[in-house]
Amino acid sequence: MTTLKESRPAPPAAGKQSPNKPQRRARSSTIIVTGLLLVVALYFLAPVYWVLVASTKSTADLFSTNGFWFAPTFSLWHNISQVLTYDGGIFVRWFANSVIYAGVGALLATYFAAAGGYALAKYEFRGRNLVFGTILAGVLVPGTATALPLFLLFSQLGIANTYASVLIPSLVSPFGIFLCRIYAQSTVDSALIEAARIDGAGELRIFHTIGLKLLTPALVTVFLFQLVGIWNNYFLPLVMLSDVELYPITLGLNNWLSQVDRLPEFYELTTGGVLLSIIPLGIAMVILQRFWRGGLTEGSVK
Amino acid sequence: MTTTHPSDQQQRGTTPQGNTGNRVPRRPKAQSRAPWILLAPFLALFLLTFILPILVAIASSFTKVTRKGLFGEAGVTSEFAWFSNYAQALSDGNFVASIGRMFLFGIVQVPVMIILCTVLALMLESTSARWPGFFRAAYFLPYGVPGVIATILWSFLYVPGLSPLIDIAGMFGLEPDFLGPNTVLWSIANIVLWSYAGYNMLIIVAQLKTIPVELYEAARVDGATTWRIARSIQLPLIKPALVLTTVFSIIGTLQLFAEAQVLKTVAPSIDSQYTPNLSAYSTAFAYNDYNVAAAQAVLIAAVALILSFAFLKFSNRKSS
Amino acid sequence: MTQFTRRQLLGAGLGTAALGMLAGCATPGTASVNGGPVIAPVASGEKITLKYWSWLKDLQKVADIWNESHPNVQVETVWIPGGNSGGYQKIFSALATQGGPDLAQVEMRSIPEFMLVNGLVDLTRYGAQETAHLYDPTLWSQVSYTGGVYGIPQDSGPMGMFYQPAVLEKVGATPPATWNEWGEVAGELRKTDAYMDCFPLGDASVFAAFATQAGAQWFRAEEDGWVINMTDPATMQAAEFFDSAIDKDLVQTAYGAFSPGWFAAAAKGGLASVTSGSWADALIAGVSGGEGKWRVAPMPVWDGGSGFGSSYLGGSTAAVLANSKHPKEALDFAVWMTTSKEGIDAMINNSGIGWSPAPGFIGTTRQKPSPFFSGQNYNQEVFEPATLQQNPDWSWWPVTTQSLNILSDGFRKKATGTSLVETMSIAEKQIMTVFKNKGLSIRREAS
Repeated sequence: MTTLKESRPAPPAAGKQSPNKPQRRARSSTIIVTGLLLVVALYFLAPVYWVLVASTKSTADLFSTNGFWFAPTFSLWHNISQVLTYDGGIFVRWFANSVIYAGVGALLATYFAAAGGYALAKYEFRGRNLVFGTILAGVLVPGTATALPLFLLFSQLGIANTYASVLIPSLVSPFGIFLCRIYAQSTVDSALIEAARIDGAGELRIFHTIGLKLLTPALVTVFLFQLVGIWNNYFLPLVMLSDVELYPITLGLNNWLSQVDRLPEFYELTTGGVLLSIIPLGIAMVILQRFWRGGLTEGSVK
Repeated sequence: MTTTHPSDQQQRGTTPQGNTGNRVPRRPKAQSRAPWILLAPFLALFLLTFILPILVAIASSFTKVTRKGLFGEAGVTSEFAWFSNYAQALSDGNFVASIGRMFLFGIVQVPVMIILCTVLALMLESTSARWPGFFRAAYFLPYGVPGVIATILWSFLYVPGLSPLIDIAGMFGLEPDFLGPNTVLWSIANIVLWSYAGYNMLIIVAQLKTIPVELYEAARVDGATTWRIARSIQLPLIKPALVLTTVFSIIGTLQLFAEAQVLKTVAPSIDSQYTPNLSAYSTAFAYNDYNVAAAQAVLIAAVALILSFAFLKFSNRKSS
Repeated sequence: MTQFTRRQLLGAGLGTAALGMLAGCATPGTASVNGGPVIAPVASGEKITLKYWSWLKDLQKVADIWNESHPNVQVETVWIPGGNSGGYQKIFSALATQGGPDLAQVEMRSIPEFMLVNGLVDLTRYGAQETAHLYDPTLWSQVSYTGGVYGIPQDSGPMGMFYQPAVLEKVGATPPATWNEWGEVAGELRKTDAYMDCFPLGDASVFAAFATQAGAQWFRAEEDGWVINMTDPATMQAAEFFDSAIDKDLVQTAYGAFSPGWFAAAAKGGLASVTSGSWADALIAGVSGGEGKWRVAPMPVWDGGSGFGSSYLGGSTAAVLANSKHPKEALDFAVWMTTSKEGIDAMINNSGIGWSPAPGFIGTTRQKPSPFFSGQNYNQEVFEPATLQQNPDWSWWPVTTQSLNILSDGFRKKATGTSLVETMSIAEKQIMTVFKNKGLSIRREAS
């Protein structure tokens, strides 16, 4: 039963259940449940709404007008152009850095995790359990605990404060390899591999043609998981980077926020920057959440 | 190495393909080399970014740097120091307090998180919910907002003078102090809940969707109520997802850093060692004591490992 | 698994090799630059660029003035978060990677901490002592340690009392001249629902400034090591005073000065005054509707005639970092910036710096009455005399940040009943432990 990816937003179970219910009860419970869900949605959306409103205000209005409603003067475009042009367009640079870190990191990490997971699932070899056990322990070690020693190590190697210092650690996804292994075990048929071998295909070729294809649903999950993980990462770049030009967006915006004490005009920049930074990921989340299920708990489901 | 993940038990019984190797006694050289080639990039990076740093941390946590004179101008020596850095870390009241604080945080936050996500998932997947697609997207949206930015966002809603929430509460004669010494921890908990509830909910929803329709139908025929279906069918069957989200929440709790560090600028009650990670960071970069910081990092990793394994063991025993 | 395979043995071998490599990994900040050769200035005609990390606003505009007249030594400024809010962490981490800028803004109090990790260049090796006469001697002593000079004073914060005459008038008061009078006025103000000032439990540096005024000298560098005394009569006098002020609810402790809560209260007239560094004028100008409502008076003095007329809060230097390739040029720029008229004026107008460290010139705009402060010529009236009444013996020490954090942590416990007086002696012991853990020798002042 691994048909997760095909299930539609409206669960099949739902359609079948409703006819059994008495009509009136169904309606009142619909109102109650939907009402509750609506209240919860308010909780999740209110801060986003607040920043949307706040980014249309000047700093003076920000403090003097109601936070949940627009001020008479609409300065959204002014604020946005400020954000994009301040300090020679450093915001755009941060954004591009984030895209590079997250995009390149997630893509390669997914590929490496797929290869490793496939190998662990489809081959018997000495040390397999040792390798898998070690990786499993890696899943459980907080990434932030390794960041400090990694900084000391990278500074010895002379690659601290470079793109590589943030990218290299992002290429490893122990959780990804764990997921790929479980998924490969349940979906990649060994008979198919044997057949390919008899046809004379090499091992790597088999992985790239058959393995990757069958693993796709899990790979999407791993990719998204890693993408968001890198995009949201703060501690690693904070520890590694001292050059503002290399900052990802998280670090950059916090840099702006830490100036508001002395320079209140940075409130405008920060709220505008926050808005700009959550729009693309917000849209991505809304669209991608439907793919976000293949394999997460696969294997254990069966 | 015992791999006690719940999935292991499942796969043993259900995936005969996994054991193909036993049926083929001898394999060509290419086949015995292939797994290592496939694993090589991952293992090399894993070694560089996980194993080596952990070794660096361990090595440096056993080293002590001593400075002679007023500023170390009379000589700096570096020597093996046994457990003195660990002793120093553990005798640092603030570091120990930060671990205690995270326990308190976890004991409250993790159950609240799991219960809320489960209830939301069950409601979304129930027949009674309208527009489940919209709600799911709305709940999931904050996951795309980085922790730092989420904290910046919420800090605006916490700070007096800026916060509409305080203004609204003021209309009812309330004066909430979100950043006070006793409340700020829960203000952080709220940010974490806001960021990750939707994500955890989605994991549970995914699991709920795998429950065969026939099970529901059979239960309905037997006259089971919604409540009963949730308790006897849905909850037991989503257990793997609950285990996964709980483990992630435990690890997440020990990782807590950005929220505290960003709120620190507006909340005077947050000190520079408020969370274990913040403590390690301050010790390294504000106090320049890299060796004690390494000892702290090792301790954090050890606690995370022990807690996660203990929880996995516990949930395994309960199910068997 | 009992049998070892070839691979496992190989792995174990690699592991041992790696561990050996790690043992060779030096802890950052253990090698000194001041023992090495002096770096010669670049030949004329060669073009170099200096980097300066600072949290001053628009500092590049100041550097641009220099750049115009010094085509071969260009200065590029980079904004970093202020001090311990992230700036120092960045500098320390850059130093650990053998990198970092030529110059960095380092607060007076943090100079010894940077020295401890060998982060600063001893500027006497590049002729800094020749410029000593240009600077306020009190400030110069705070950058001079063990015969060297480790930073060029860039701004400072002589203290005064900013107050709202209208709020004081409600209880018929004028600015108090002594702390005892201050306490009496504060008590009267509480009857009108206003506070005299706030006392930040989360930031011990303000208390340190009050103790300094009373005559405290917490640390002294002797031949045989550091001497600590944080429980001297002067400190105890200040601690007892604020213990009682907090107990009687005379001071606001819920927020610190210049926090959003403070701005809201100050605008509503809920706060009568703030005793702070001269640089607070720029922040007070941010109180909404504050124009014409504020004035400045000298800091209240401690009763019994002991102590000094004023104190200092804040103050920073331009320090040359250990990895600079051009320390001589960096020093020249720092001296130009802090002593030339154009440099000082540019720093005041663009960056809004605190008090100028050069006694000869306080800045053109500061010689005039201020419209915001009701036409009061407060800089010449209050702060210029204040710079001559500061405790000259105070010295900072190599673990200032950690020590102030220890103190702040203790002060936070005031809410649960630990008095400031008790905290002082507890903190003293903890700070001595911190010194000893680093291997530095320290002893308690014989009493």
